[in-house]
Amino acid sequence: MPLKISRISATLLATTIAGQVLAQESVTVVLSEELENVEPCMAAKSNIGRVILQNVSETLTELVPGAGLQPRLATSWEDMGGGTWRFTLRDGVTFSDGTALDAADIVFSLERNKSDKFVCETGAKYYGGFELTTDIVDDLTIDITSDPAQPILPLLMSTLAVLPSESNPDAFVDQPVGTGPYTFDEYARGQYIKLSARDDYWGDAPTVQDATYVFRSESAVRAAMVEAGEADIAPNIALQDATNPETDYSYPNSETVYMRIDNSTAPLDDVRVRQALNYAVDREAFIGTILADGTLQATGMTPPSTIGYNHDLSPYPYDLDKSKELLAAAAADGVPVDAEITLIGRLENFANVTETMEALTSMWQEAGLNIKLQMVETAEWNEYYSKPFVTDGRPIMVEAMHDNANGDPVFSMFNKYGSEGVQSGVADPKLDEMIATATAATGDERQGLWEETFAYVFNDIVADVFLWHMVGFTRVNERLDFEPSIKTNSELQLSQIEFK
Amino acid sequence: MKSFLGKRAIASAISLIGLIILVFFLSRLTGDPTNLYLPVDASQESRDRFREIHGLNDPLIVQFFHYMSDLVQFDFGMSIRRAEPALDAVLRAFVWTLQLAIITMTLVTGSAIVLGSLAAYHVGGFFDRIATFCSLIGASAPDFWIAIVAIVVFSVHLGWVPTSGTGTVLHWILPIGVLFIRPFGLIVQVVRGSMITALSSAYVKTARAKGVRNRPIIFVHALRNAMLPVITVIGDQAASLLNGAVVVETIFGFPGVGKLMIDSILQRDFAVVMAAIFVTAVAIFVMNILIDILYAVLDPRIRY
Repeated sequence: MPLKISRISATLLATTIAGQVLAQESVTVVLSEELENVEPCMAAKSNIGRVILQNVSETLTELVPGAGLQPRLATSWEDMGGGTWRFTLRDGVTFSDGTALDAADIVFSLERNKSDKFVCETGAKYYGGFELTTDIVDDLTIDITSDPAQPILPLLMSTLAVLPSESNPDAFVDQPVGTGPYTFDEYARGQYIKLSARDDYWGDAPTVQDATYVFRSESAVRAAMVEAGEADIAPNIALQDATNPETDYSYPNSETVYMRIDNSTAPLDDVRVRQALNYAVDREAFIGTILADGTLQATGMTPPSTIGYNHDLSPYPYDLDKSKELLAAAAADGVPVDAEITLIGRLENFANVTETMEALTSMWQEAGLNIKLQMVETAEWNEYYSKPFVTDGRPIMVEAMHDNANGDPVFSMFNKYGSEGVQSGVADPKLDEMIATATAATGDERQGLWEETFAYVFNDIVADVFLWHMVGFTRVNERLDFEPSIKTNSELQLSQIEFK
Repeated sequence: MKSFLGKRAIASAISLIGLIILVFFLSRLTGDPTNLYLPVDASQESRDRFREIHGLNDPLIVQFFHYMSDLVQFDFGMSIRRAEPALDAVLRAFVWTLQLAIITMTLVTGSAIVLGSLAAYHVGGFFDRIATFCSLIGASAPDFWIAIVAIVVFSVHLGWVPTSGTGTVLHWILPIGVLFIRPFGLIVQVVRGSMITALSSAYVKTARAKGVRNRPIIFVHALRNAMLPVITVIGDQAASLLNGAVVVETIFGFPGVGKLMIDSILQRDFAVVMAAIFVTAVAIFVMNILIDILYAVLDPRIRY
């Protein structure tokens, strides 16, 4: 009997040690939610992207923070005019099933992205409002034409995960095959996903040989897993759990928090009321208190690293007297400034969102506005945020957080400020023209036009209340040489991880 | 007994059909899932296509008849979110929950009966104080708090057990430990109360007068008669666990049916919600029938 007990103890001890000591060259990543699927065309969703994008499936181009657009599966691209771009594919690239990458795979991936059998996140998010046609020049050369022309087509190709043309065109794949440095080995639903390094990858061999992804919805548990040595990276932990400066990194997560104002309903249709809303907010007071240190005050819809972000704009200062003056002037002209304004907040949108919304409500009430806060679930929130808006004739402001990690305002500005934009509270022909012109421009001209557009939205029409550019927190095991970046919000390239 | 079981099965089936109809329409009242599945910037064209693909453009009554006609073939439909058959997702999760419930309730029942009986034998004594303390903890400490504290103490600081997840025997210790506390606190009090009554009955006094020792008096004579109310409470607690231990599943990353159900409700993944409710309802009906049978076994006066 004692022998039996000691064997059991030894087994338990061994499993404990096995469970808690991470193997060299292997990493464990703990994600905040289980992946609903592992389909590459859904990789625009952050948790799917963190597993699949550039690990299993690659894109033609890649937006690298600080370096701009870089080659990935395409070695070069050229504007052929008339909305056509010619991409030259990298020679010698194979998928993990052994088939060679060619232009037909790009055509297949583009068509599948707009399939009529299912809706792809990437297709729905980035490929609306224009038609793409393709022409295969040879196995490694393809022309892609956009109608209307898209000067940022090469940037758009940084979102398209490439699949082999042998993939199922009519259903999501559950065993993705890609050209990336890792093969997709196993998905034990509810438990883990495993990837392992390919030995026939076209690029440099990565240091990390195996990766396991597990899912824990509680931030405290994710943080504890890294602290206990059970995991290496928790890409997304809450502010209150980021307590160890040795392991916890903050990074700009490309999210911008703002108040979308319905500019068509009184009293919000008066620019002085919208200015008053801006002046009444003490943005600085939130930072380092209920919002994380490192959070930036916002003057535009995209993160400051986006091209065309207007760095000359300054946030509205907190000036309660000025706010009251503006409201008094509007009231004197018959604007119903005492009308009840419904403020819609989205539950669990970001850490401390409810406290933030309550504080904002209080600031606006102090300025004399009649604000009624309503916190709602995501589905209900969407009915206020996206057209056709739920209004009932009431003046409504909607709290929203917008993500743009793609480096160009075009992914934001039409939907948020075009008259036909699905979340736009503005209908301004001049602004429509500015967005259209900037969208069609290239190079320095494009940058200048976007800067003017940002200034017009911020200074002239005061369309919304811009609040903050947010930061995220990642906990990284001390054995790793890895620092998160703005891209960590949407992808996590295992090949960029080294061991100390 | 056969006739009783037949009647119970028919009554359960009718309840199940009523439940399915109710949940089908109530879940649809929560709204269209399109906005939850597509990115907020999705075009109207994408939204229309999504509704068409998932049959959301049909009138509700047509959707219901489609659902029922599939259901008679045991087809619960596809999960929109997971792109797999809804029943597969639910059964996979239910196996985890079932294991968790069986292990937890076995441990709870065994230990609560022993401690509750000893507490009843010496009211106000050492075991009675322990039973009262356990009941107080079970009734007052929230699962969430206990789970987080347990992780911090036993996983992070002491390193005895993994924080969460599945894979080894040790992964089960914290979830079962946390799940154990609440039903144990409740059942130990029911056992204690029921045993105090049984131990003061005439047949126990007669047994004592005849010189029967304490252990057989407590665990043979009194316990069997005290078990009926205890079984009722055990059944109630087991049903709660079969419905999913949402907090524990969430914190410890246990892929059980409770978390699946909550996530599916929030995501309006109707097929999974329906399948999950169907499976857990069937499990609870089966458990109730087993309890009825157990009543008859323990008390020969009960006849069906």
